[in-house]
Amino acid sequence: METGIRVLLLTAALALLPGCATVRNWFHGRHAANSADTQAAQPSGTPEASGSNGPDTQTPPRVIEPQVERRTIKVPRIRSSNVEVGLFYGALSIEDFGTNADYGVTAAYHITEDFFFQGEAGRSRGGRTSFETLSGNIQLLTEAERRFTYYDLSLGYNFLPGEAFLGRGVAMTSAFYLLGGFGATDFAGDTKFTVNFGGGYRVVPTDWLALHVTVQDHLFQTSLLGVTKLTNNLEARMGATVFF
Amino acid sequence: MLAPAAGAAREYLQLFVAEPYLELHTGPGRGYPVFNVVPREESVDVLFRRTDWFKVRTEHGVEGWASQADMVKTVLADGSPFKYELGDRGGFSSHRYETGVFAGAYGGANLISAYGSVSLNPQMAVEAAAGQFLGRFSNGETADLGFAHVISADTRWSPLLLLGVGIAHTEPKATLVTPSNRTEQTAYVGGGIRYYLTRRFFMRAEFKAHYIFTKRNQNEEADEWKLGFAFFF
Repeated sequence: METGIRVLLLTAALALLPGCATVRNWFHGRHAANSADTQAAQPSGTPEASGSNGPDTQTPPRVIEPQVERRTIKVPRIRSSNVEVGLFYGALSIEDFGTNADYGVTAAYHITEDFFFQGEAGRSRGGRTSFETLSGNIQLLTEAERRFTYYDLSLGYNFLPGEAFLGRGVAMTSAFYLLGGFGATDFAGDTKFTVNFGGGYRVVPTDWLALHVTVQDHLFQTSLLGVTKLTNNLEARMGATVFF
Repeated sequence: MLAPAAGAAREYLQLFVAEPYLELHTGPGRGYPVFNVVPREESVDVLFRRTDWFKVRTEHGVEGWASQADMVKTVLADGSPFKYELGDRGGFSSHRYETGVFAGAYGGANLISAYGSVSLNPQMAVEAAAGQFLGRFSNGETADLGFAHVISADTRWSPLLLLGVGIAHTEPKATLVTPSNRTEQTAYVGGGIRYYLTRRFFMRAEFKAHYIFTKRNQNEEADEWKLGFAFFF
């Protein structure tokens, strides 16, 4: 009886010990990546630690500790230059309110060689209508209301890309582009939903600089002069942008 | 063969031509003529990238534009292939950020809107949107923050579910009875669909039903429909 219990206990112990050992190895294997990291981080402590563990470790003690440091190859980052930011100056013809100078900022992001997103904000000033000029003292708008401020978001398409030549020695890439988008115009005390479309010509004399000539129409509805109508506000301008 | 230049700290990435030759174009576009070729085993320095094109300088100091399709066939100094991702269907399915602009309608007014999103995983993203609506009776701005759940992220058409909160600032036009400006909290539920176009570029259409929590007796509802272009990165 006693022997039977002993045999049973020994069998249980025999069954358990290798079982525990495999579990330990299994656990060790699961965290091999982590322990590899820690070993790499503490190379000096590793041999002593493995020595003290004695027969538990399966890896033989290292005869030669390699003193060679692994060369880390640093791959330089490629700078991307898809963003174009700049200023423009031109003339804006505000329907019924004459033509005045306009100026502003543009920012564009080139998605592919064909398409780009463009955002712009500009400011101009409405002049006097012919009615105001003829009638003498009547003022339709206050000075603050004559300020014409707009912004728009457009999608651009590079249409007819090409090269422009300056004499024999200089070649510059260039493109005609089409623009279409929407935005808002603040004029005459109200903000109007505005659709813009147009086109331009871009010439790129250096890698970082671009020169633009752009013509656009800004369309919005207004009922300022009694009847609701769609107004066309044509803009012609020149600009310079820098690529980032 | 590939001995590094002694003492010279290389500023640009150096790539070696592994195909018979690498074509250099005069400009960053498919139509620009090829004016130079770099033979196999010679190297180029990559100066910068614009859209799908890389401006490179050869060992002889010639600068030109190489396409991404050709550049991914070159190798690094250790012989490993040069990889460069410019966006594909895989990126459309799983990406970190996206941004885009929309045009549409909000409660009967015209709407201009922009959004940005950060993906937590391919299916779930946190989105922030800002918009300006311009109507006959009122103008105003909206701002939303919420979650977008992409139902089938790996297909070209992927539907979305939208849920979130926001604020709406309304400026009624002076001709109305209650001309005071107001800022109110909103909540929205909606859905949409996105369609992969090319590279990093996709279209997105969405509908949001906004519930505006007013200080008056009744809450308001405003429907938002919009269509736009977006890109991921």
